[in-house]
Amino acid sequence: MLANVASAHEMTPTYPKLTPSAYDGIYKTTMKMFNKRVDIQYYEVGVFDKDFNTVPFVTSYSVLKIDYLSHVTFDIYIRENDVAKAVYVCSKSKIRIEDIRRTAISSRICSKFKND
Amino acid sequence: MFKQITLGLLLGTTFIAAAVSAETVPINGVVQSRCIIQTDNAGTYGNPNAYTLSTGVTDGGEPAIVRFDVSLADAYYAIITAPADFSSSPTLPDVVTFTGDTTVSSVSDATGMGTYEASKVELGMADKYDLTATGSTWFETTSTATMGGNKSFPGGSYTALIVAECIAQ
Repeated sequence: MLANVASAHEMTPTYPKLTPSAYDGIYKTTMKMFNKRVDIQYYEVGVFDKDFNTVPFVTSYSVLKIDYLSHVTFDIYIRENDVAKAVYVCSKSKIRIEDIRRTAISSRICSKFKND
Repeated sequence: MFKQITLGLLLGTTFIAAAVSAETVPINGVVQSRCIIQTDNAGTYGNPNAYTLSTGVTDGGEPAIVRFDVSLADAYYAIITAPADFSSSPTLPDVVTFTGDTTVSSVSDATGMGTYEASKVELGMADKYDLTATGSTWFETTSTATMGGNKSFPGGSYTALIVAECIAQ
């Protein structure tokens, strides 16, 4: 019975800002994730435009391993030319195949860039 | 007698000194607006007959329950998509037809969230809700898979994915 198991996915901030990084022509933002899904260990990060087409970005790992009840802080770097296109940064749970007859829930949270 | 009084004074002084030297330990926290997707029940398929898999309770299954907690009003959309195929299954003998639906099963604020179900936008298997109030909303997603030609589902394990998304506005 899963009803009483803490099983949640969260990512903050909701409205990150891209600011110039230490590298010329590269902008940066910092995101934080908390994994309370006991059934999930991996989350995939992506950056998207307003129509959810992918926008190039760099982070330490595009698939992050986040243990149950762990926090992870990660930086996202985007080229200056792509800053105007980047609208969403999303994290999506990655689910493993299991040998049971069931449905599974893939969660995705998208924050929205709000630049001055 | 004098020694006993001196010892008592010393012990008393030590106790007071320990009490005075206690320090406060702050617990820090930052409150940020956020959306949390909580999986209350991942759901299970029942097998009411040879050619049907269903999450319906009367079919022996369990619907999926997902809770969205938001701490900022008018800041998020919830999009929940019922499965349209199996993510894993044995080799199937025919085409499988999927039906599914998502409904609001419970809310923490009946006044602010009472119109969620009536205001939702259905886009195929996806249901989109505008989360206009802060608090928790429980969504129930049902799924039924029917094998074509009244053929039986082969024995084995079946998994289908429900996608729950919280998108900042």
